[in-house]
Amino acid sequence: MRRQYALRSMTLIAGFGLVALAVLVQMIRIQNSEQAAIFLSQGDQYAGEFRMFYPERGEIYDRNGHLLAGNRTVYEVGVSLSEMEDPDALAFTLGTYLGLTYEEVFKKLTESPESWSYVVIQDYVDANIVAALQEQIKQLETAKDFRLQGIAFKPHFQRSYPETSLASNVLGFVTRDGRGYFGIEEKYNDLLAGNPVQVWVPRDPNKATEIPRVPNGTTLVLTLNRDLQARVESILDEALIEYGAQNGAIVVMDPRNGEILAMSTTPRMDLNKYTNYFSLYNDGSQYNRSIGTAYEPGSVMKVLTMAAALDMGLVKPETTYVDTGSIQVGGFTIQNWDKEAWGEQNMVGCLQHSLNVCMAWISTQMGPTAFYGYMERFGFGHPTGVDLAGEAMGRLKTPGDSDWYNVDLGTNAFGQGVTATPLQMLMAASAIANDGKMVTPHILYSMLRDGHQYNVPSQYGGSPITAQTAHTLSEMLAQSLNAESSEALLSGYRVAGKTGTAQIPTEFGYDPSVTNASFIGWGPVDDPQFMIYVWLNAPTSSIWGSQTAAPTFSKVAEQTVILLNIPPDNVRFQLTSK
Amino acid sequence: MQATQIIHAYKQAPWRVQRQYVGAFLLFVIVASMIAALYLSVTARAAVTGREIQELRVEITGMQRANADLETQLADLTSTIVMQQRAFALGYRPVKPGELEYVAVSGFIAPEPSILLAAEDVTSPERIIPEAYTQSLIEWFDEQIKFGGAKQP
Repeated sequence: MRRQYALRSMTLIAGFGLVALAVLVQMIRIQNSEQAAIFLSQGDQYAGEFRMFYPERGEIYDRNGHLLAGNRTVYEVGVSLSEMEDPDALAFTLGTYLGLTYEEVFKKLTESPESWSYVVIQDYVDANIVAALQEQIKQLETAKDFRLQGIAFKPHFQRSYPETSLASNVLGFVTRDGRGYFGIEEKYNDLLAGNPVQVWVPRDPNKATEIPRVPNGTTLVLTLNRDLQARVESILDEALIEYGAQNGAIVVMDPRNGEILAMSTTPRMDLNKYTNYFSLYNDGSQYNRSIGTAYEPGSVMKVLTMAAALDMGLVKPETTYVDTGSIQVGGFTIQNWDKEAWGEQNMVGCLQHSLNVCMAWISTQMGPTAFYGYMERFGFGHPTGVDLAGEAMGRLKTPGDSDWYNVDLGTNAFGQGVTATPLQMLMAASAIANDGKMVTPHILYSMLRDGHQYNVPSQYGGSPITAQTAHTLSEMLAQSLNAESSEALLSGYRVAGKTGTAQIPTEFGYDPSVTNASFIGWGPVDDPQFMIYVWLNAPTSSIWGSQTAAPTFSKVAEQTVILLNIPPDNVRFQLTSK
Repeated sequence: MQATQIIHAYKQAPWRVQRQYVGAFLLFVIVASMIAALYLSVTARAAVTGREIQELRVEITGMQRANADLETQLADLTSTIVMQQRAFALGYRPVKPGELEYVAVSGFIAPEPSILLAAEDVTSPERIIPEAYTQSLIEWFDEQIKFGGAKQP
């Protein structure tokens, strides 16, 4: 009996053991089969996901901390097709809220490929619309009505410009693909955009790993003064209307360090509606005419011709010249703006009356080597290096160029036959306002990244003239403005400057009835703290810079001294003496 | 001789041998249950904490978005046009040069532009999630054996 029991027990144990062994073998076989590898990889797909984390684009501030470009949340509105209950209700509701037709939404919901589990209805939906839609869904769900089930909202950032069109020509814009175009947005796109990071994010909470924080894009602080920028834009707009000009540009710069305080051109656009770009501009050079459009500046160039002549010792302020009304250069006759002879003039008179003949005489006395040597040192024919995208570099023809003729030596002296952007003119003239040192204009004041502020140092573009020459010429220009009672004068402040009226070249030659009116000036003369360049294209109320650009300069200078807290000269001298 | 007989008799007692087997088996079951319970407890806590971390991460992202939105809204409300309209509505007008009075303040230095305080420091080298929340019991044992309780370098 006992032996039989033992035999039965052994048989049962062996049977169960075999079954267990079979199960074990089968488990091992299954786990190492090809199908298992497929299942494992499928499982891995659901274990988590590679997610791309895009940093928030860096903000842009003016020098006083006013936000010029920020970010706001918008939503991608979509529908999870597997959760969808009622396509009719969804099509009607989404169509109503998102401004789409019922048919349009219904087609997306019902005619999407079968493999799709999610369909995007609309992207870049405003947060207010989404909030209203979410409220509607919530109300229905409270009433146990799940017809709108399946709607999903995915938030993301969109560039936002709180000041709309203010400084639009400087800032540029960002398209929906996150790329910056024009101005700061293009020039510093890589810094602003930051570096996206791809991270494996497990769904298993036990495997919750530390996701590296994606640093935001670099925040930029500009040298612009928002309030001054607004005033300058307003003055430019008023000037265009008052003088009937087609377009224009005004730049305000600190001649001591090259910081651009305001830069305005027309037309400007609301950066939040950047799709209007194509209706406003024919080409990219028009986006910011201060740096993108080179033109023949005319008599404002006489300042630099005189600077070169003074610097090489060819003339002094009291040097006289008998103006006969014309001069022959390279076989061509050059005349004054009024075609009149002005008799004996000293160099201050040459500037005061803006005599072309005098300037052509000076440049021919200098000779092409010396004259063009100075012009190149003033930076003509080269970009200024300003940190804005889309800079043009103008053209300075020099001896040896196939299209350079002897007459160019005469005409270039008074700003015809040579092209430059307003910013190039400012940079060149900064040598006169800044003790002979030419500053490189820049718009970036500092960068903020990882809790640190990096200030951008000022750069200098050389010293084309001596400090003595700069002081002498500033004094001459201030005297000439006072002597002619220029409309550029600013009560209480001594300013130096020069008007420019340049005929516009056409394919049939120069058109005497259409001009570019310009003014370049700075102040206070004894301690220049601002430089202003005004360019009005084709003014119709008067073709002369002295009657259009000069008074515009005065208006800008008036606002500049107020907003930069520059006291009148007499007050400043009193304060300094204390 | 008598003592040896007693020990021998004790060893040979069938009930005593069975009790030893049962005791050893029960001890194994109890220890295994305790380890399983401990493991389950730690795993459950880690899972809950991991879920909380995931939720906090979503919350942080939401707060960053809200912060950016609020900054932009504030800039909208203080934009040049809005401020000008508010100023005009309150009866203010732009100042004219002759209306300004300048006063000398000894020792005053005009403030340089500085919005450094707005810059966010994201370079914290410390780990956000302690290891205790991410490592398994086996990994913890392994670490204790290898490093003897000292913090892993």
